[in-house]
Amino acid sequence: MTREPYRIDRAKPHRDDGVAGQANGGRVSRLRPYLLTSGRAEPVDDTLEIEAQVLTTDLGVTTSDRLSFEYREIVELCRMTMSVAEVGSRLRLHIGVARVLVADLAAHGYLVVERPSIHFTQDKQLIERVIRGLEAMR
Amino acid sequence: MDSKPCADSPPRAKRPPVPVKVVIAGGFGVGKTTAVAAISEIRPLTTEAAITAVAAGVDRAHAVPAKTSTTVALDFGCITIDESLKLYLFGTPGQDRFGFMWNDLSQGALGALVIVDARRIDDCFPAVDYFEKYSLPFVVGVNLFDGELPHDLADLRWALAVDAGIPIITFDARDRLSVLDALLAVLRHTLARADAD
Repeated sequence: MTREPYRIDRAKPHRDDGVAGQANGGRVSRLRPYLLTSGRAEPVDDTLEIEAQVLTTDLGVTTSDRLSFEYREIVELCRMTMSVAEVGSRLRLHIGVARVLVADLAAHGYLVVERPSIHFTQDKQLIERVIRGLEAMR
Repeated sequence: MDSKPCADSPPRAKRPPVPVKVVIAGGFGVGKTTAVAAISEIRPLTTEAAITAVAAGVDRAHAVPAKTSTTVALDFGCITIDESLKLYLFGTPGQDRFGFMWNDLSQGALGALVIVDARRIDDCFPAVDYFEKYSLPFVVGVNLFDGELPHDLADLRWALAVDAGIPIITFDARDRLSVLDALLAVLRHTLARADAD
């Protein structure tokens, strides 16, 4: 059995589905969160950190109106850089859902993601930069 | 939610800033969110994390359906260090039973501030144990609720049974400068640890 490819562009209403136009409106909040991710709770890249920075690309901006609503919301929100955690908070998505959606969009080039390096605790220059920055706030 | 994004980066700047984070841990009601609110440039945001979403990465085989309805609230804030560096502060959920979420929070963290209420120090033991086990540099910050410390710091250190190398400081979670100093204590400890390694 072949698996249907996962698509993030907006699905066309089914031709013989007479109520397609009204079927979606107002029902969204009743969906269980993971319906948004087609049942997947595992991101394309499941190591995506909650503080990873997300920014919409030019491609994301120009194609956002072709995306389904949950992806479009993220692409529009992330015209200003923010973390995966903020995406979750602002769109009232569970962190796990935000992760999946962001990872999908990044995989398609609609978002760029800046991830933290994994060896921070050994990166003295970086730690010193944070210290200097905080001292400047005194 | 009317708060602004953490940084007003121009649309489609070259690169997003590099994120770093410090974990704010401690028992329930000990002042974690207060401390984040005191220093964050945005009003602290709350996000819901489902247990299964988090547990999925840890222990997929044992993720049971009964857990799906449970969520934990995660409070966080941020500080722009400079245009290419942003510091996030993540508060751990207060309840011990959500301890497994800490992997998510602590992975890649620069360090942690374990907030202690001196009147009920037991509440911070799970956090201390966790950070000791995973070798994440941490500082114990005693939140001075009434401006007074019921024990002296030496007694407190004995009661907490933390290593002599772990700094114990007092601070006021409501006061921006005080929280700033507590964060600086965490980062200086992290730097000292990096020097020692």
